[in-house]
Amino acid sequence: MSAIRYILLLSFVLLGYSALQAQQLSPQQRFERANRLYQQNQYTEAAGIYQQLINEGYSLPDLYFNAGNAYYKSNRTGMAVYNYEKALLINPENEAVIHNLALANQRVQGFTDELPLLFFQKWWIQWQHLHSPNGWTTGSLVLLWLLIAGILAYLLAERFQTRAVRIGLGVAGALCAIYFFMSVYTYSVAHSHDTGIVMSSGIKARAAPDQNGKDLFTLNEGMKVQVLDATQEFCKVQLADGKTGWVACEQVKRL
Amino acid sequence: MMVSQVYIRKWGLSLFFCLGILASAAAQEFRFTTNVSSTRVAQDEPFQIQFMLENAPNVSSFQPPALNDFEILQGPSQVQGQSIFNGQRSEYIALIYVLQPRRVGNFTLPGATARVDGKMVRSNPVTIEVVKGSPGAAQAPPPATVPGFPPRRSAPPGIGDEDVAEGILRKGEDVDAKLRKNIFLKVEVDKTSVYEGEQLTATYKLYTRLPTNSSVTRVPAFKGFSAKDIELPNPPQATTERLNGKLFKVFTIRKTLLFPLQSGTLELDPVEVDNQVRLVRLVQDNNRRNRPRDIFEDFFNDPGFRDPFNDPFFDDFFNRPEVTYEDVPYKIQSTPVKINVKPLPVDTRPISFNGAVGNFRMSASIDKKALTTDDALTLKVVISGQGNVNLLNGPKVDIPGSFEKYDPKITDNIEKNSNPLSGSRQFEFALMPLEAGQQTIPPVEFSYFDPLAKAYKTIRSQAFTVNVSPGKQTKRDQEDFSVDKNVLIPVRKTPQQWVKDAAFLLGSTWYWILLLIPLLALGAGILYRRRLNYRQNNADMLKHRYANKAALKRLELAARYLKEGKEHAFYEETSRAIWGYLSHKLHIPFADLNKQLVQDKLSSRQINGQNTHELFELLDNCEMALYAPAHSNDKMQGAYQQAVKVISQLEEELKTKKELI
Repeated sequence: MSAIRYILLLSFVLLGYSALQAQQLSPQQRFERANRLYQQNQYTEAAGIYQQLINEGYSLPDLYFNAGNAYYKSNRTGMAVYNYEKALLINPENEAVIHNLALANQRVQGFTDELPLLFFQKWWIQWQHLHSPNGWTTGSLVLLWLLIAGILAYLLAERFQTRAVRIGLGVAGALCAIYFFMSVYTYSVAHSHDTGIVMSSGIKARAAPDQNGKDLFTLNEGMKVQVLDATQEFCKVQLADGKTGWVACEQVKRL
Repeated sequence: MMVSQVYIRKWGLSLFFCLGILASAAAQEFRFTTNVSSTRVAQDEPFQIQFMLENAPNVSSFQPPALNDFEILQGPSQVQGQSIFNGQRSEYIALIYVLQPRRVGNFTLPGATARVDGKMVRSNPVTIEVVKGSPGAAQAPPPATVPGFPPRRSAPPGIGDEDVAEGILRKGEDVDAKLRKNIFLKVEVDKTSVYEGEQLTATYKLYTRLPTNSSVTRVPAFKGFSAKDIELPNPPQATTERLNGKLFKVFTIRKTLLFPLQSGTLELDPVEVDNQVRLVRLVQDNNRRNRPRDIFEDFFNDPGFRDPFNDPFFDDFFNRPEVTYEDVPYKIQSTPVKINVKPLPVDTRPISFNGAVGNFRMSASIDKKALTTDDALTLKVVISGQGNVNLLNGPKVDIPGSFEKYDPKITDNIEKNSNPLSGSRQFEFALMPLEAGQQTIPPVEFSYFDPLAKAYKTIRSQAFTVNVSPGKQTKRDQEDFSVDKNVLIPVRKTPQQWVKDAAFLLGSTWYWILLLIPLLALGAGILYRRRLNYRQNNADMLKHRYANKAALKRLELAARYLKEGKEHAFYEETSRAIWGYLSHKLHIPFADLNKQLVQDKLSSRQINGQNTHELFELLDNCEMALYAPAHSNDKMQGAYQQAVKVISQLEEELKTKKELI
């Protein structure tokens, strides 16, 4: 009796230890393992590992890209599009992601391409990605310190009360304001979640936010939608072609 | 075997009595039987029944059974004869009827009774099953093989002899009424209430008793149905059918299997037929005999030739009616038929149901159990049975994401002219495994509605397990780094910087603290500056306040010089006192002082007129006295008085103006 108990205990300890060891693999090792699984055509497993890394809080463009590929290969178009879009949110210029996203979108039934951005919209996006959101914030902080230091020097020391210092202070003030604005803007963009990817096919968009609303159109897996409004259960979504309707929020994974 | 038969067409049994006596000598086996040509007949189909009395020694009466359910077409005809077989002679008497059933059903004829040798005997009873008329049943009369019904001269043998007479339009007969009575269309449907998708058969038939050349001008469109025509023989084959006691030739125009596609009341469109009916019109021609005429022509043209003596309109042999042929156009239309289509029940409908109605079987199979990711797998699903096979949609197959699925290849194998429609439809799904490993294809599910059971039925196949091993395609993926338009760019393998997402700085308290510190410093700096400025301003204020005093102090010094009579020193001191006062009062640095600036400053403070004038006069006087001494004590005294007056006046004025400002 006691022998069996010992064996059981031992096996539990061993199991726990091995599980612990699996946890202790470094992210890079797990990433490489997922890449190997991907090469061996075991896409679902690979996607699982990538997803785990993402869930742990690593948001790297390449991780999203690889996860998108694995999902694409295991025919989960919605998740593939979601991960590519995530990668693009971090780096909108990445050619490989743009290419693979276009491929994934070919699988989306009823996919309508978004209007191409105008040149100033592109500039605006490039400008936003000049720094990371935290970069903008840090910049604003540094500039503020410099500005204040300058102002104090100007106020308190007579020899700094020159024209050059005044111009310098004006420029620093403007830059500081811009950095602060951009940091608030990128923060709000990152927290708005007003776009989403539809996660399953054949969803009926309804005219009103309840189950009995009139059917307007059908949403398919992988479609990118704008979330305009939301109640507890229902989200009002808008397609790229301008159609709007209500769907259950759980069908749309917000970016 | 030798058989001789004698037909006797009249009632009566006298002869048969004599023969019966004659035959009694032979000690042969006695038999009394009932024979029918067929025990299963269609309605409108004539059949023969025979009551046979063999070797009856002394027949005194012969009574047929009641034939109420049948119409006697012919008979009774009595046949008697004898046969000699192997030196044995046998005699028989038979009563023969040709009957036609009046109703559908099973009928038992009890058998005929006869009194033989004073005893009553009864023949065996016969059961006759009468089914609904089906064309082309056994015993069909010779068909009219020529399409378009040319007017016939000679009647077909047997029962067809009634119809030709209708081709003659007798005097006083209404053409329309005649046509209406003798040509019409009928639509027969086997069901009038069906489920959506359930098969029904519609047959469009042309009934005619007249020679006619017909063509179908409008075929029904079958709106709301999916139609499948049954191929009919070409040229059309006629059958005969008895309707209200009259014999019609029946041509099937169209026979279609219909599958309603929607529920509700649907209408079968009518069919339209254009007929050219050839009628023979009898015309009384009195001038006929005056005309020379070929007797043969007459002979051949005469439609009444066949049976002139029976023709009631036959007057006399030499006054035969002149005939003309007339082609009468006659358009007919069938009456539309309403079909009530019931919707399929919704509550119990399985998810996998997609429109199959009937009775089906399904089999599913895969062609490989193990393969590599380079190969393709075929999942074959065969659905066979009876019902709307031609409308079958593919079964529900949940192919897992690890397979690429292509649209199925559909192969039909529908039995030609089957009714109900039966056959099979085969779906071949080509599947490309994308992932290696043990993969499972879930069971294929197929549901159909059984209209007989009025319920849905679901068939499921077993699940399939496939072993997929990685193929060589992996290698190709690795080598291909060029951006092809349709090839996925492979995963990135570069080592990553595994830094977890930093929280947003903007949301952290540290940021706001760090933001607040310089602002506080700025505030402190500004306060300090203010204080500094205040202090400076205060010093100015004190200077200003003591301006008068300072001036008087300076002037005191000047007064001492005046007393001592030091003229140069006096003027110098006076001038300095005034300039000093102005410098302090008007905040002008000593170096910048000049008359013009002082005047501007004063005028900007709205101090003008006498006072200013006196001030400048005094300053001028002082300068003059410095460079050209007058050595006059009075003048010095006057200058001193003036200086005191000017300064005190200015002081006053600056005060009031300051208050105003």
